Amino acid sequence: MATPSITKLEPFIGKRIRRKEDPRLITGTATYVDDLQLPGMHFAVVVRSPHGAARIKSVDIAAAAAMKGVAMVLTGRDVADLACVPCGASLPGLRVPEHRLLAQDRVYYVGHPVAVVVATDRYIAKDAAEAVEVDYEVLQAVADPEKALAPGAPAVHPQWPDNTAFTFHQEGGDIEKAFAEADVVVKQRITSQRLIPSPLETRGCVAQWHAAEKSLTLHTSTQVPHLVRSLLAQMLGLDENRVRVVAPEVGGGFGCKLNLYAEEALTSHVAMKLGKPIKWIESRRENFLTTIHGRGHVDYYEVAAKKDGTILGIKVKIIQDLGSYHQLLGPAIPTLSVLMIPGLYRAKSMCADVVGVFTNCVPTDAYRGAGRPEATHGIERMVDILAAELKMDPAELRLKNFVRNEEFPFPTATGLIYDTGDYAAPLRKAMETVNYTELRKQQADARKHGKLMGIGMSTYGEICAFGPSPATPAGGWESATVKIEPSGKVTVMTGVSPHGQGEETTFSQITADHLGVPFEDVLVQHGDTAIVQYGIGTFGSRATAVGGPALYYAIQELIIKIKKFGAMLLESDDVSYANGQCTCAKTGKSVSIKEIAGAAYRAMKLPANTEPGLVATYFWEPTNFTFPFGAHIMVAEVDPGTGAIDIKRYVAIDDCGNLINPLVVDGQVHGGVAQGLGQALWEQAVYDDNAQLVSGEFMDYTMPRAHMMPWIESGHTITPTPVNPLGVKGVGEAGTIGASPAAVSAVVDALSPLGVRHIDMPMTPEKIWRLILSKTTGSNA
Amino acid sequence: MIPQQFEYSAPKSLAEALALIADGGKPLSGGMSLIPMMKLRLAAPDRVVDLARIAELSYIREQAGSIHIGATTTHHEVESSAVIRAKCPLLAETASFIGDVQVRNLGTIGGSVAHADPSADYPAALQALEAKIVIKGAASERTVSADDFFVDTFTTALEPGEIVTEVIVPVEAASTGTSYQKLLQPASGFAIVGVAARIQKSGGKITLARVGVTGLSNRAFRAAATEQALTSGTAVQAAADVVAQAIDANSDLYASAEFRAHLAAVYAARAIDAAIRRTS
Amino acid sequence: MKISGTNTLALAPEEAYRRMQDPVVLAACMPGCESLETIGEDEYRMKMKLAMASLSGAFEGKVRITDRTPAGFRLIVEGTGKLGFMKGEGLLTFSQSGDGTEVAYEGDVQVGGTIAAVGQRLIDATAKMMIKRFFEKLAA
Ligand SMILES: Cc1cc2nc3c(=O)[nH]c(=O)nc-3n(C[C@H](O)[C@H](O)[C@H](O)COP(=O)(O)OP(=O)(O)OC[C@H]3O[C@@H](n4cnc5c(N)ncnc54)[C@H](O)[C@@H]3O)c2cc1C
Repeated sequence: MATPSITKLEPFIGKRIRRKEDPRLITGTATYVDDLQLPGMHFAVVVRSPHGAARIKSVDIAAAAAMKGVAMVLTGRDVADLACVPCGASLPGLRVPEHRLLAQDRVYYVGHPVAVVVATDRYIAKDAAEAVEVDYEVLQAVADPEKALAPGAPAVHPQWPDNTAFTFHQEGGDIEKAFAEADVVVKQRITSQRLIPSPLETRGCVAQWHAAEKSLTLHTSTQVPHLVRSLLAQMLGLDENRVRVVAPEVGGGFGCKLNLYAEEALTSHVAMKLGKPIKWIESRRENFLTTIHGRGHVDYYEVAAKKDGTILGIKVKIIQDLGSYHQLLGPAIPTLSVLMIPGLYRAKSMCADVVGVFTNCVPTDAYRGAGRPEATHGIERMVDILAAELKMDPAELRLKNFVRNEEFPFPTATGLIYDTGDYAAPLRKAMETVNYTELRKQQADARKHGKLMGIGMSTYGEICAFGPSPATPAGGWESATVKIEPSGKVTVMTGVSPHGQGEETTFSQITADHLGVPFEDVLVQHGDTAIVQYGIGTFGSRATAVGGPALYYAIQELIIKIKKFGAMLLESDDVSYANGQCTCAKTGKSVSIKEIAGAAYRAMKLPANTEPGLVATYFWEPTNFTFPFGAHIMVAEVDPGTGAIDIKRYVAIDDCGNLINPLVVDGQVHGGVAQGLGQALWEQAVYDDNAQLVSGEFMDYTMPRAHMMPWIESGHTITPTPVNPLGVKGVGEAGTIGASPAAVSAVVDALSPLGVRHIDMPMTPEKIWRLILSKTTGSNA
Repeated sequence: MIPQQFEYSAPKSLAEALALIADGGKPLSGGMSLIPMMKLRLAAPDRVVDLARIAELSYIREQAGSIHIGATTTHHEVESSAVIRAKCPLLAETASFIGDVQVRNLGTIGGSVAHADPSADYPAALQALEAKIVIKGAASERTVSADDFFVDTFTTALEPGEIVTEVIVPVEAASTGTSYQKLLQPASGFAIVGVAARIQKSGGKITLARVGVTGLSNRAFRAAATEQALTSGTAVQAAADVVAQAIDANSDLYASAEFRAHLAAVYAARAIDAAIRRTS
Repeated sequence: MKISGTNTLALAPEEAYRRMQDPVVLAACMPGCESLETIGEDEYRMKMKLAMASLSGAFEGKVRITDRTPAGFRLIVEGTGKLGFMKGEGLLTFSQSGDGTEVAYEGDVQVGGTIAAVGQRLIDATAKMMIKRFFEKLAA
């Protein structure tokens, strides 16, 4: 084939390009749900339980309903016939409580919806909500999952007195043998506390019923518009094609908007009943109380190893605090933890027992990392503890146990096939970055001067690119449509639903390079089920790793068609396509994509067996997950007087395969690290003994903010995955997963001369101070 | 996060404001404490009287050895005022520790002292500075010492109908060294414990020691025992160790009473040491 | 949240013991109490208005006295309002101390609803203040 006569365009993939979506976000001109104003719109406010557990004796709505401007008040009885909030997790023997849109005769957590009030504006609705009189008989509540499992604990759901929603067992390899052959066994209880996802934009939706068309439009702040459409249609008994779900600008989700919530169905139901558009916007306080929380693990680990550090087997008992109900995926989350238990290590055997526990708290579900951070935190802590036990350097112990490069694809004891990797590379790079050997010398020196300096590390692996469909509850493929408009401009419609990840930019880069069109000519559309073909959505670090390949294949299909038109226009059978031009090998003549688009839509003449237009749609099913990995190192100093932790350095080396846009990747890593450090140092959803959420707003719940962050030195190694043609693996959750164990590792290392081996999160000053006190004076102050 | 209905007025003169407040109006200054309470419906005043437009309440003025600060002067204005930085650096330093930039841009000194949050920063400095608070009502005017002003948790010497109009702090003698040190609650920024120290030395000896403590207990207070120990020649750490003596320390989710008492001693020592370094 | 403490009153133990069960005295001394109305033996309906800082809210509830012994009794105060609910329970014991009486209390404060969620850093300080005010008024 002859070389095309035009010069190759500069590639966009791999460039640090600023995000297309940012101007509208930082100038405040983006349209979020609460920006929508529809004629005749009413406002809904939900009346919520102030108790963790209570019987509803009566609900008196008379005063509220009589208020001027109030259009409707509904209580549990009014929605008793409607379908329940769906749970998509299927586990053998899973107990699924009936999760009605409004509480029936009992409330199960503080914030439980009891009634909904609709009025002409939100102030009246709020006043009326306060006028709804609910008479409760308060019952004993239980908020701690371990206490809930104890005999005699109050039953969250009276029909299941043991508070056990499910148990799950998984085993791989010969675990008995591993422990029998072990020279050492280390054990540790490790918790991963409840966290409040806290997106900048709380949940909210606007429902509009078009009675004549029997169709419903729901604008909602979600990560999964198509899934919401399917589930909502089912719940409300509507035809799926008459439900349109739009995710407008979505101000963050972190997993908490990967759900169908009672309020979305309730708002829709009210809109249908009242025939008015209804807006419901969650307040921050409601967000704390009623949007899913994350994590909530109490884990008991045992690791068996040889004297030389070879890890033989890992046992874990996981107690998962599920809260009072199941949201979409809640019970499935700890099973993801189980899959990730071996981490990056060759351990040939494992055994996990999970118990899912009901508590009088808001449900837990997917939160950035969803199950994998818990597991990584556990195994990374255990490797450190093993290193301490064997008096080995923690880096050396890791290097010794990593899956070796020649062993990929590597089957794990949990049944996964790790696609590819060079696990030592990021650790070595991180160690070089901090000058590890020198740093250890500095540490020895600092210790001589009484300073508590610590060097912590984590080497994490991740399951990304969810996922092959058989491994997911609702399909794990992704879709893309690429349209070349008559003018030559390119519209991409992706089934993923970006809400901060920057795919409008990265998908434009992919399209620009693979289709050979100017970056500015590409428009990426998403989030509207009336515009975009069915898609799965954005979660589990899947958007670029599954949605990206779908786009890539759609482009390849389109190129076939482009070439047909090119061949027709160039009157040749031997044409190539590159850089937006079809070129005839023989004559060297070429036609531009713009000319081809013109011809394809004008359709004066068509190539044989070819229809007009230039559109291609591709649904891509991945063959495997991808398994990114990386190494984080944190250096910290602890103030013995106050227990305060000062982060001196933070290095994050991630391997997520090829980088489409390193700027966007860095942003994902930075945000992820912030959330991981948030868990390690500050964040904690605290329910008291009566199941009151006492960390109920940002004055108590410490969301990490920019000024609290260390400078993050981020870098990469690149090991492209063979799972998809772009070689990308996903990076949305990496930072979170790597950060919490690195942080705890650093602080434990700082305190290790005192004999400290583990600290549970969050590592608050008082906790550290007490630990130091107990180790230095033996007192348990 | 939706307040109840209320009437809002924004008078231009102090007299007008005082009349409205005498009539039951609730003063609004920076709104950093009041507005969140209203949004949560924990506060539901019928009428809010905004002090922000009253020009005669916003000033920083040096006068006869004192600095007079109008009630609606923001934390940022205090923090960045050349006069305060040069002549009463403890107050500027304390202001710089309050919350975050947004809070400092809106929150005011009058609002902060009137609110009397037991963890607020200013009160520690105002105690150490032996500041005076000027209080006015529609028909009254009085000046009270900081020590008399801060009565208890959220409780001050203000009577209904009265507002804080001015805070008066001394111009420091050149030989004075001061420092404010705090451990903050990372979520809110409020002090778990904050200590303001003010030290004068002469001939190598501490001749004046003022130590104000906030966050520890129901109100900001002056640590008399520590002050006495310092002026009678006790070593800094030993003097700091008695800072929480006989104090009933608060506890919350973030810090127990015991930890707070311990921190008070640590931060007292740090603040005193830093203040001593700054003398001369 | 656990609370405990002692307070010395310049009253004879019998007088302190009597006063603290007298609804008229209780009504006068409980911070914010607007009315206390007998609804049964040792049981009263209470209306109170809590005003502190800019927070203000009405509560309705009950005051009960139980577990009466010669040495003391248990005082239970519970109220519900728009701001949430609270329940304070304390075992009071009276003993001679010089010319006066030492009243020791030990109990538990539970708070729920908005005040619990957003006010946790202040609940301890507030409870202490209310108890202090109560004893101040009682002694007056
Ligand atoms: C996120 C956040 C973090 C914060 N962190 C800190 C911190 O670290 N340290 C700290 O000290 N503070 C902190 N604050 C509180 C802040 O300093 C407020 O500015 C201060 O408490 C109140 O001042 P204001 O001017 O906003 O008063 P407002 O909120 O307007 O009023 C507070 C109260 O005082 C009354 N009032 C106002 N002005 C007067 C007056 N002149 N006379 C009589 N009564 C009056 C009002 O009626 C109201 O009851 C924080 C606040 C927030 C929101």
